[in-house]
Amino acid sequence: MTEDNKIIPLMLLQHSDSAFPSGSVSFSWGLETLVNRGMVTKADDVQAFLNAHLIARWASLDRVILVHAHQSWSDPDRLSWLDTLTEVQSLSAEQRQGSKLMGAAMLQMHCKLGTKTARELSAGISKGRLYGHVPVVQGVLWRALNFDSYQAQSMAAHGLVTSILSAAVRLSVIGHADAQRIHSAFLPAVVAALQEPVLEPEEAHSFTPQIEIASMMHEMDEMRLFMN
Amino acid sequence: MNDKDLRTQTTSGSQKSAARVGIGGPVGSGKTALIECLIPDLVSRGIEVAVVTNDLVTKEDAKRLQNSGLISPDRVLPVEAGACPHTIIREDPSLNIAAADNLNASFPELDVIFIESGGDNLASTFSLDLVDYWMFVIDTGAGDDIPRKKGPGIIRSDLLVVNKIDIGPYVGANVDLIKQEAVEVRNHRPTLLTDCKRKIGIDALVDQLIQDVLFTDV
Ligand SMILES: Nc1nc2c(ncn2[C@@H]2O[C@H](COP(=O)(O)OP(=O)(O)O)[C@@H](O)[C@H]2O)c(=O)[nH]1
Ligand SMILES: [Mg+2]
Repeated sequence: MTEDNKIIPLMLLQHSDSAFPSGSVSFSWGLETLVNRGMVTKADDVQAFLNAHLIARWASLDRVILVHAHQSWSDPDRLSWLDTLTEVQSLSAEQRQGSKLMGAAMLQMHCKLGTKTARELSAGISKGRLYGHVPVVQGVLWRALNFDSYQAQSMAAHGLVTSILSAAVRLSVIGHADAQRIHSAFLPAVVAALQEPVLEPEEAHSFTPQIEIASMMHEMDEMRLFMN
Repeated sequence: MNDKDLRTQTTSGSQKSAARVGIGGPVGSGKTALIECLIPDLVSRGIEVAVVTNDLVTKEDAKRLQNSGLISPDRVLPVEAGACPHTIIREDPSLNIAAADNLNASFPELDVIFIESGGDNLASTFSLDLVDYWMFVIDTGAGDDIPRKKGPGIIRSDLLVVNKIDIGPYVGANVDLIKQEAVEVRNHRPTLLTDCKRKIGIDALVDQLIQDVLFTDV
């Protein structure tokens, strides 16, 4: 291992740690509404919710955009196109907004850290050339940090799993030990998703009707701990 | 934190950016009430104000301020805390920073943005990446031993506000003792007494803010 390679695993841990400021603590990605309406009440339901998010949304949409953004990290026009595809593939306003808020939060931190390309991306958003959806931001910044595509995908999937499980704990549907049990049991599904061939950007899609509807209902909910 | 212009420190933009003032403290101590008292006083001195609220469960505080008639509703932005009010003012304040940046971009004339925490325990503090200055609000109703319990909120805040001095006598809390012990544990850093119902101590609080963070000649 070269010195550079030795530092990569530590950087992976740093950048996918929930202590890395990403705004994710404020998001439940539809879970809060399903919990409040009694549709998610136990560990199995949380696992099913996680599975729906991972397979029917993340793997077919966010992952695809992430991989292509990672590849085209220095091509502003293509990035802007990938970003637009993400925008139009998110049906509910809160899911769309959440993805942009997280992208912006991550960028804000990387601007402070001086990560290569962070300032350019940030300027692109200020000037209206980019929405700044999270898979685009992740793809570019993690490429800039020299993480390979598989590492970037693993980090993004890990982030999704931990943020949903952490929301489930705070919503009191599962305990802290359940969260780790579900996490462990879920890893093979993540690996399987990462082995699938990556779709072309035009093919990126998501189909999570219940989550989309829950997100729309959340917009009007009175009792809310989370932004989505 | 008196000697340099903090307003140039926090945000990235090159244009003037408003001072960011955190308001922390336990639920119900009077943080929103204090903001409601501060706004008219600041406005009458020509100071432009906006507010970020971190409601715990509902958008109650944001709505209350938006409907108060004291401030234009679009100058109040809610950020929901995902059940972790202290996290979004300290460990991961990114969404609060984004909300304050948004307010700054929409209202370049702003002088001060208050960021009200969703309510925390005595150990909560604000990230200095989020705010230039923060006050911690406790109330006499919680008992006169609060300063003795110390806690980073009480010790480390730039300004400690002891609110609801009007109800001290009804709950057997000695307001003078609170003040005296607070001044001691804080090593004589500012501690102010307020009563939001009768608007007592508000002028002094605004004077303090102007002296410490706003540096405006008014
Ligand atoms: N008697 C009295 N009540 C107050 C005072 N300040 C706030 N309150 C009341 O205390 C309650 C909680 O105040 P609020 O501003 O919502 O607290 P927050 O949770 O810290 O924002 C409300 O019913 C207020 O009207 C005060 O100085 N005196
Ligand atoms: Mg309040």
